[in-house]
Amino acid sequence: MATAMNTGQIISGAGHTVLIGWLLFGGAFNTDPIPFEVTQVTAISTEEFEALMAVERAPNAASSVTEPTPPETVEPPAPALSSQTDAETAQTPPTPAEPITPDPTPEPPAPTPRPEAQVEDTAPVLPSPPQDTAVLLPEKSLRPKPRPAPRVAPEQVAPPEPETAIDDVVREEVVADDTATTQREEAEATAPEEAATEIVTEAEEGGGPIAPTASMRPKTRPERPTQAAEAKPETQPETPKPATPKPAETDNSAVQDALAAALGQASEPAPDTAPSGPPLTGGEKDALRVAVQSCWNVGSLSTEALGTTVVVTVDMGEDSKPINGSIKMIGSSGGSAAAAGQAFEAARRAIIRCGSSGFNLPIEKYGQWKTIEMTFNPENMRIK
Amino acid sequence: MMYRMMTLALACLVAFQAPALQAQDGPLRLEIKEGVIEPMPFAVPDFVPESGAAEELSRNIARVVAADLSGTGLFREISQDAFISRVTSFSSPVQFADWKAINAQALVTGAVAVDGTGRVTAKFRVWDVFAGQELGSGLQFVGTVDGWRRIAHKVADQVYSRITGEGGYFDSRVVFVSETGPKDNRAKRLSIMDYDGANLKYLTDSSSIVLAPRFSPTGDRVLYTSYESGFPRVYVLDVASVSRRLLESQDGTMSFAPRFSPDGRTVVYSLIQGGNTDIYTMDIATGASQRLTNAPSIETAPSFSPDGRQIVFESDRSGTNQIYVMNAQGGEARRISGGTGQYGTPVWSPRGDYIAFTKQSKGRFHIGVMRVNGEEERLLTASFLDEGPTWSPNGRVIMFTRETQGAQGQSRLWSVDITGRNLRQVQTPGGASDPSWSPLQ
Amino acid sequence: MKTTPTTNKRERGTKMKTFQKAMILGTGLLLAACSSPDRFGDSTVDLNGTGANSGVIAGSASDPTSPAYFSQTVGDRVLFPVDQHTLTSTAQQTLNGQAQWLLRNTDYDALIEGHADEQGTREYNLALGARRANSVQEYLISQGVPSTRLKVISYGKERPIEICSEESCYAQNRRSVTVISAGAGV
Repeated sequence: MATAMNTGQIISGAGHTVLIGWLLFGGAFNTDPIPFEVTQVTAISTEEFEALMAVERAPNAASSVTEPTPPETVEPPAPALSSQTDAETAQTPPTPAEPITPDPTPEPPAPTPRPEAQVEDTAPVLPSPPQDTAVLLPEKSLRPKPRPAPRVAPEQVAPPEPETAIDDVVREEVVADDTATTQREEAEATAPEEAATEIVTEAEEGGGPIAPTASMRPKTRPERPTQAAEAKPETQPETPKPATPKPAETDNSAVQDALAAALGQASEPAPDTAPSGPPLTGGEKDALRVAVQSCWNVGSLSTEALGTTVVVTVDMGEDSKPINGSIKMIGSSGGSAAAAGQAFEAARRAIIRCGSSGFNLPIEKYGQWKTIEMTFNPENMRIK
Repeated sequence: MMYRMMTLALACLVAFQAPALQAQDGPLRLEIKEGVIEPMPFAVPDFVPESGAAEELSRNIARVVAADLSGTGLFREISQDAFISRVTSFSSPVQFADWKAINAQALVTGAVAVDGTGRVTAKFRVWDVFAGQELGSGLQFVGTVDGWRRIAHKVADQVYSRITGEGGYFDSRVVFVSETGPKDNRAKRLSIMDYDGANLKYLTDSSSIVLAPRFSPTGDRVLYTSYESGFPRVYVLDVASVSRRLLESQDGTMSFAPRFSPDGRTVVYSLIQGGNTDIYTMDIATGASQRLTNAPSIETAPSFSPDGRQIVFESDRSGTNQIYVMNAQGGEARRISGGTGQYGTPVWSPRGDYIAFTKQSKGRFHIGVMRVNGEEERLLTASFLDEGPTWSPNGRVIMFTRETQGAQGQSRLWSVDITGRNLRQVQTPGGASDPSWSPLQ
Repeated sequence: MKTTPTTNKRERGTKMKTFQKAMILGTGLLLAACSSPDRFGDSTVDLNGTGANSGVIAGSASDPTSPAYFSQTVGDRVLFPVDQHTLTSTAQQTLNGQAQWLLRNTDYDALIEGHADEQGTREYNLALGARRANSVQEYLISQGVPSTRLKVISYGKERPIEICSEESCYAQNRRSVTVISAGAGV
């Protein structure tokens, strides 16, 4: 399959196909913005199967390719997104709770391979707060063997409580309370999806002691889900949070201005030329890193792409949201161009998804993070 | 395991400390070394019917595409109930906001038309929702109504490949042994089906025991062992015509465990003579054979490397069953399996990077993978009896036989990703064993 | 030493005739030969009772020249330890009886089946079954049975006699069974 392409190849390929299709069949499809390749599929004879294989390997083989379809008015297929408008709804991932049952197991006696993967009634555990640079995920050393979970994340997460919706943001359930002085919007409790720190195969599962779930419970109920909430302010119910200068997303700039003013910093964007403001603290950088890595999903990458490190730059808006169109790959190592292309796409998705509501970055240091260069190195993820 | 944990902890330590120590120079630099491994949420709305007769087909093709993707374990389908947008026209712009809102990271849109002659045209596009971009460009497949599932599998292969960067495996078939009857008188039939269990066909009747069919590199022929002659012997069967032929064999010998060479011209197999099992090759056209091993020990389960230069096999010459690699012409063999336990049925991955095997250790059976030099052994499964791995065409998934314990024990086909994730049973109408995965069609 | 395998169609034809003769010997005989003695406990008692009243019935288990006698009285099987193909002293005693019977009843040939328990891969078990059958064949030859009257086949783990997944069953399945068939001279 010669479809692993990087963006450049895609653009180039698309362009060429448009051109060829236009020359050959211009006018047939009036509405199609993008050209098509056409491949015959039949399910009858081996000869045909082989012909198909040939087609896929060499799409231009005249013998088996039928008409490339004609493009037309090439209208921009995908207008640049404004991620801002979408962000408000980001807290609704509806599906994670439904068990991913394998379809092809209709036989009644089919054993379910890993019942543990289901959501269980155990308390959620907060990921370590990013501000705390000293945090070194003590859970790992406590647990000689992670329990298997369909999700593998840097930090182990115990199965959430049954009624808890899966979300990247940890929130306590908020129930309308007439007696409360401050009104909080009702909200479903959410917790990060259960995750293991590494893939646990069936062979490893039974081998050693599986650490009790209890050890995963936080010693005390987390009082404020500050870390994650700050990373994604929009999912936070309108709650008074005096201590954390997290602006609600609706009036981001106003709050930031106020904040900046309060802190005696200039709210104007720094000049383009050089980083300005004091360097980000380790904690601030870690918060950003944790935010990005929580969306960096390498689970659907090829093994080659998993061996490819990509360096990506992104320009940031003052609203601390990435400018999606600015994300580009400036370097890669360890894999082919195609693998780098896939790795870049995964990195881009991570930045866009977790940045869609703005990262937790201090506006007074905007000059420091106006452009961010991120190296996505999957080395550790390969061995999980 | 401890070592791995320590490595991880160390890596985390480095990851946490390094950025803080970096001097601020130029843009803010971050290294992301930890991420998540989870299925990517995707949406496949029903394809848009572009002709009256295509309504059902549009829905069915979309369902098969979604099932293919979900079945990999790398993707997770978002229920159609959650959809905000309806796709009513293939050419209208995608409402990315609606798909982002339900966290659909990939979106597949398509349309299906059926013409008067029963010709089906299915076109599709793959979208990276959060980037707001199309992945690759639109593609269209043309086929017959009967072959609609193959069209769907081809679409899914494209989607898979555009997102993961490696080839798919959906438009493929599996040849295996269907099993019925009690354990002490099991009837076995050679069978073939699509990789997902659809379109099952029987290739032999159940009058003789048949074992371990193996696809040719192009999927046109199958080698297998049958007791049809009264003794276990190797046959070659043409899939299209379902005609079979006994390979050249000598009276008083038994032959089994055949596999094709990568060029499809040679078969490597085990021959039993005087109670001793050794490995031979035979030119399928001429019947000329060559002996590759000559030892009093058992040498069996040979498998060619994808370049045809080497053969990996199982031998008990050391006193236990271990895995060895030798030149395709025979000669000195080097042992690559090193752990405790018994190793068997090694199979070279089509990508050449791994060897899958069966391992028996401490009363359990495992399917595992190791590098071709024996390093990085990793066991993917554990059960009462797992055996006989076969690779998906892209070298990413392993299918194998799992037999349950006891008098009522039954064999079924299972599959697992080479990472050890996504262990699941493969749909078959009844008992099934000895799968062999075809190349991509 | 070992030659390249080639087809010998004439020999295969001969073998088919042998099989047909074996079929003529009757289903009961084959069943008796293929099954464990204890399953025939009832019929054995029955036959013995008949025999006590009216003497030996030709072909029955009480007829010392019958294959049924061979399988039930002489003993048609020997058992092996895990992964082994060497003969225990018990096995050798049984095989001594088999050899004597075969030497007395020269109208019959024998097919020696090698079997394995389910704890092993299909391929290894086929090879192991062949080793077991071969051990029996070599022993019978050493006792004077002409090699031309003996054939071997391996079933690996395809035909267990006991179906539980415990050592008690495995021990019965790690076996070699000598199946009597009509000889070429009949």
